[in-house]
Amino acid sequence: MTAVEPRVVVGMFSDVEKAAQAAQALLSLPLPEENVTTISSVPLPDGAVVRDRRPIRFPWIVVAFWLVGALGGLALTLVTYQAYPMITAGKPINTVPPAIIVSFEGGMFAALFATLILGFRSIGLRPFRSGKRMIFDPRIHEGKIALCARVDPGDQERLAIEAMRAAGGDAVRAEEGEL
Amino acid sequence: MKIGNHLSRLDESKLYEELSRSNLPATKRWYAGMAALLLVVLAAVAVFVYMMFVGLGVTGLNRPVMWGVMIILFVFWVGLSHSGTLISAILRITRATWRAPVLRGAEAMTALALMVGGLYPLMHLGRNWRFYYILPYPSERQLWPNFRSPLLWDAVAITTYLSGSLLFLYFGMIPDLAMARDRATGWRRKLYSFLAAGFRGTHAEWRRYHVASTLFAVIIIPVAVSVHSIVSWDFAMAMVPMWHSTIFAPYFVAGAIYSGIAGVVAVMVVLRKAFRLEKVLTPEHFDNLGKLLLTFTLVWGYFYFSDYLTAWYSRFPEDWEVIRSYSGHYLPLFSLLVACNFLIPFPLLCLKRVRRSIPAMFAIALVVNVGMFTERVQIVVPSLARRNDPSIWGTYFPTWVEISFIVGSIAMFALIYALFSKLFPVVAISDVKEQLFHTTDRTIGGANLSTVVSGEGKEGGRET
Repeated sequence: MTAVEPRVVVGMFSDVEKAAQAAQALLSLPLPEENVTTISSVPLPDGAVVRDRRPIRFPWIVVAFWLVGALGGLALTLVTYQAYPMITAGKPINTVPPAIIVSFEGGMFAALFATLILGFRSIGLRPFRSGKRMIFDPRIHEGKIALCARVDPGDQERLAIEAMRAAGGDAVRAEEGEL
Repeated sequence: MKIGNHLSRLDESKLYEELSRSNLPATKRWYAGMAALLLVVLAAVAVFVYMMFVGLGVTGLNRPVMWGVMIILFVFWVGLSHSGTLISAILRITRATWRAPVLRGAEAMTALALMVGGLYPLMHLGRNWRFYYILPYPSERQLWPNFRSPLLWDAVAITTYLSGSLLFLYFGMIPDLAMARDRATGWRRKLYSFLAAGFRGTHAEWRRYHVASTLFAVIIIPVAVSVHSIVSWDFAMAMVPMWHSTIFAPYFVAGAIYSGIAGVVAVMVVLRKAFRLEKVLTPEHFDNLGKLLLTFTLVWGYFYFSDYLTAWYSRFPEDWEVIRSYSGHYLPLFSLLVACNFLIPFPLLCLKRVRRSIPAMFAIALVVNVGMFTERVQIVVPSLARRNDPSIWGTYFPTWVEISFIVGSIAMFALIYALFSKLFPVVAISDVKEQLFHTTDRTIGGANLSTVVSGEGKEGGRET
């Protein structure tokens, strides 16, 4: 027995209010909140049409990368002082202020790259994406809002299409792909 | 939501065309301009190659003035780069409603000015082909960078700032690249598809994108401050009169932001004219930038006066001789500096009519940048020419080689900026659209006002 592949119902809306109505109708089918999303050329406020409750934790990992970078900078300066010592009064000089500066810059350098990579990963951009077809409609650049709902084929799909049409959606259809 | 603006949400395709005009196919005039700039840059490169073969003797550098135009250009361009990312980051974090049309141009200015400025310390090395000695790598020759040297701090800070500025610029462009991807054809489509990395604009993507871009802005601000502080420490760590000052780091940062804002104003005026962005870059934007410039005119004036006053009052002989030279040999330089950085811009920028006049703002921006270049000259040259021992006092005047570097740097900046604007949207289109989306008309009594909705959505409500 093979598992039923979920499908995505897509409807195009010309304004936020209609899209919000349709989203409410989809949620009352009921569809789980995480299965309904919008695709738009402008960021819509959270809750205007759909809500994303998943926590965003990657900034904490960026802080961890900052610490790693700073420790790297500190190690670089301290190891240099030991490996290539400037002997003064029989001892190598370990100068603290330059170590602070290099550590700070090292931390910032790591944090910047971590933000890029973890940001990409969190958004789910291409380097971190499966090779599956992603749902998209370029008409969002004409001011439309694409409301998308992941549904099971059959009744749920039919009800979702009806809900979107009833709320004033255009070009409502079911597609195969990832949300 | 009703959008009460001349750029309606309903004709978004028109909006895109209007804002991405810089990406239209190049005209003959554009090619001619590029060819002229390229010629100037190539001429400067040829002069540099000549200097490499003949040696630094072809410059005006001499004992005791061992730092000249190349270091002045380095400080000037790094300073100019300072404000773009900083302004953009601050405006993004504070969600300033007028930020959108300014962001991209300012961010690009930072990255590109830094690319130009970063070349000059390498050119100044003398034996340029050994530039990699500054990198910490295991070497059989037992060479290893000395982290006690402020010049090495420079290398570390500028690498971080350049990388950060490029990443900040790129990350801010992702939604616009996605928009361009869906409209472009041919090689441009391939390029934008690659750079947009599959961004689509789902609700979750936007939400995470905002967190990441805010995080970038938060991180880049201390980096921007640190980089110019470190440039100032190149000077302040040396026992040279008028350099060895505790106020140098904040003074340099203030000066860098000041010249950077003037740079942003100049770039915005050129972009507005070249790409007919009159509807987007309005006198309102120049008024706001003018207020920022006015603030930093005062901040710069305050720091400059504080630095000068302390040295003047203490009358340490070595500092005093440098100060005396300001009213003697370097009087023209000193007068130009004070006039261009304070006496001319301050009263003019107090006037709203001037701040809202685009030609006037362009002229003031140029005057301020002439003043800031002069200030860099005044920091570098008189202090070295009047060093502690009067028996080695000297003078410095740049030769044709160094003057060609000045001209070459301006041409190089213009060339790479023009190429950037041909390839990528010079206006942050998605930010402009977001701003329009959040703007609505409201009538209060007899006044019809544009109001901006801000804040995050709240549980149970639509929008704050």
